[in-house]
Amino acid sequence: MSDPKSKKSAGPINTFRIAQGIILILFLTFLSWRLYTVVSSGVYTPDTWVRFALSGLIIGSVYAVIAIGYTLVYGILFMINFAHGEIMMLGAFSGYFVFEALNFIVVNPNTGANFLDTYWILSVILAFIVGMFISAVCGYFLEKIAYRPLRGAPRLIPLISAIGASIFLQNAAQVTFGPQRRTYNNPDALTRSQGWRIPVGGEEVMLTYTGALTFVLSILLLILLYILVMRTRYGRSMRAVAEDKQTAALMGIDVDRIISNTFIISGALGGAAGVMWGIHNGIIYHFVGFIPGLKAFTAAVLGGIGNIPGAMVGGIILGIVESLGPAALGIDFQLKDVIAFSILVLILIFRPSGIVGEVLSEEKV
Amino acid sequence: MKENIKQASRNGALVGVILGFVILFGLTTTLSEILGDLFRLNSNSRTGNTGGLMLIFAIIALWAGSKAAAFDKSSWKTTLISGLMSGLALSVIISALTLLIGTLDAADVEMRDYLVQLNRQAIQFLLYGRSLWVGTLITFGILLVFSIGGGLLAFFLEDRKVGDLVYEKSLSLRDKVLEFTIIKSYQENPRSKWIGYGILLGIVFLFPLFLGRYWNYIMGTIGIYVLMGLGLNIVVGLAGLLDLGYVAFFAIGAYTAGLLTAPAPIPIQIGFWPVLILSIVLAAFAGILLGIPVLRMRGDYLAIVTLGFGEIIRVLIRSDMMTPYLGGPQGVRDIAGPSLFGLALDSERAYLYLIIFGILLTILFTNYLQNSRVGRAWMAMREDETVAQAMGINTLYYKLLAFATGAAFAGLGGALFAARNQYTGPADHTLMVSINVLCLLIVGGMGSVPGVIVGAFVLKGLPEILRELELYRLLVFGGLLVVMMIIRPEGIWPAPRRMMELHEDEGGGLTQAASLVGDEG
Repeated sequence: MSDPKSKKSAGPINTFRIAQGIILILFLTFLSWRLYTVVSSGVYTPDTWVRFALSGLIIGSVYAVIAIGYTLVYGILFMINFAHGEIMMLGAFSGYFVFEALNFIVVNPNTGANFLDTYWILSVILAFIVGMFISAVCGYFLEKIAYRPLRGAPRLIPLISAIGASIFLQNAAQVTFGPQRRTYNNPDALTRSQGWRIPVGGEEVMLTYTGALTFVLSILLLILLYILVMRTRYGRSMRAVAEDKQTAALMGIDVDRIISNTFIISGALGGAAGVMWGIHNGIIYHFVGFIPGLKAFTAAVLGGIGNIPGAMVGGIILGIVESLGPAALGIDFQLKDVIAFSILVLILIFRPSGIVGEVLSEEKV
Repeated sequence: MKENIKQASRNGALVGVILGFVILFGLTTTLSEILGDLFRLNSNSRTGNTGGLMLIFAIIALWAGSKAAAFDKSSWKTTLISGLMSGLALSVIISALTLLIGTLDAADVEMRDYLVQLNRQAIQFLLYGRSLWVGTLITFGILLVFSIGGGLLAFFLEDRKVGDLVYEKSLSLRDKVLEFTIIKSYQENPRSKWIGYGILLGIVFLFPLFLGRYWNYIMGTIGIYVLMGLGLNIVVGLAGLLDLGYVAFFAIGAYTAGLLTAPAPIPIQIGFWPVLILSIVLAAFAGILLGIPVLRMRGDYLAIVTLGFGEIIRVLIRSDMMTPYLGGPQGVRDIAGPSLFGLALDSERAYLYLIIFGILLTILFTNYLQNSRVGRAWMAMREDETVAQAMGINTLYYKLLAFATGAAFAGLGGALFAARNQYTGPADHTLMVSINVLCLLIVGGMGSVPGVIVGAFVLKGLPEILRELELYRLLVFGGLLVVMMIIRPEGIWPAPRRMMELHEDEGGGLTQAASLVGDEG
């Protein structure tokens, strides 16, 4: 470890490397051939492509927000916070309950108008605040109960604890809220499947209001987080802890508090993502956080784990690829998830440090 | 004193919040049914066993009070005050919750739509079938009184917490049992070891004769999980590779057995025995195929990639694309069972014998591997990969070997599972299977064969006995995993070596101080 360069020059080229390279080249050739045939066959018109790209962009921005949660925690503790998807699910449920409660409040007895539809901007803000708050609290306690006592244990132990926490939260939600799927009760102004129509190549593509809200809000959150981590004094101490806990502690940084706060921030982001997921996709249930969580982890790995801008880029790329992939390769749309996980496997095999490059302290790599 | 009060009330509040969630889960209702049946408490047919509920509240308050008093036990007064404070915090929270629920219910709000456990009956039950204020007051009183009692109890039990006492007792009991049984004696005398094995074998082969059809089926399920646990034990316990996609190999085994013996969707029908071997080989082959690219990753990446692989297999099985070949969501029906010397083995008992036979073979194989060069290489890798490599161990080769062996056992388990049920479908191959197997391994004790068996009985057998708790099974599993990792990461019946590894830095003040801030990989 004393000389990092000696590790980079990877030693002799072995047959294993060559085989990997050949497989990669064959795979890419097949992929581009398939892409060419599908695109040139003209099954899909330009507006369809735009539609796919748009929905990919929106979902991708949500993935990006969740992925930041993984990356922040991984950057500091070098553990996969397996329960992050469940934190997101709890945020989604909190937002749901806020909307339901506001729906009950009647502000104008004459017309029967309720709070939710009348002050819809306020309602949405309230839903986000409550969702982020609940998720942040859950994140805080999750760290305190399930991860803190295990600090310094072999790496497998906290990972198993995280899996346990994930199962626990999922089933707690199932037992309390019931196994049925629930539909988010959006304000009238944010009805799903309504939006602006944009003409593309003679056809119209719809940009839904919920989609626009999700995308804009995600980008806003990402920018805020970036400023927090990169430009403030607090962010600097966070980065210092990520780099080297012992030295950071010697410099007078309260390591435990930074770790707690990291979980709070990542929980709040997860909660925001959950509310966005609910508003945009409409359906939530106890299992709703699992697959997005896995995909967001994929996105974090794609961008290089521990790297904040990387997670943002990774999330958006993953969303677009996943959305365009089935169409571009001419396969079933059911296999969307297979594409996402294949990307994960491929990235981890061929470029484990991600596209942007991973930011981890030296001792860990 | 002030600090004492603060600590105690915080402790009580924490217990209160947890108890509140337990009430929202509806767990109190189920538990009090069980307790009420057990102790024949006053059973009211209209509201259920309210005596059981009181008992639960009393026990929890007692525990909370004694726990709160544990901070300072200088005199009985401090423990009394601690118990009082903790009891106040606890009872205020719980009473507020019941009051809130009761008021909302009285205002005709259907809470059931949002919190499914809170139906009319459950709310009545929470108030002991009495009016809102009386019910709340009873709860308040029980929690407060028993918490104070707990505080006093803590003083009289001197410097031992009640929980610790029970824990220690159970540990010493376990040691005594271990000393008593063959396990201890065979270590001293090689001949008695074989006699012990003989007796054990006899029991194992005789007990299915005394069980009915249902229990043979349950035992068979447990047996298949033991089989898979033994396989995963090699991968995770011996070689230290966390595989979360273990179900993929199970699915490969099950589908190989299914497709090649069932008439549809592929019209190939071969006998059971060659197919069994084929499914083992195919699963092992899949293990190698997956292993080659992924085994060079870091531990936690490996976990995620295998998880992704398991999901890919499941999605592929379900997809329309593969329906003509794999049967799609409907799965494969009419899978043929085995026959021996022209005798069809189709009863639950016959399958149980088959599974036991498989388990015995697996245990022999595992033991052989564990004590051979291969096993030592695996353990060396698990403990420190870099050092193992420096000692001349070809880590990639040994990892592949571990992966393939584990996959082969999963394939065997899958084939037996499919043949026994005469059906296999995507619902049998969810992520939960992988998680269950991992759980039993961890609960039982990683790297230890008896641990796997104990774990399988605890995780698959106990829920069968406690049918009422079926809803909470996974909830408890999840919590158990976390608690287990914190208090006893080596499992119920650990391998001695693993225990040493996990507790190696205990006692060394310097290393412990270092691990407080830094973390090692």
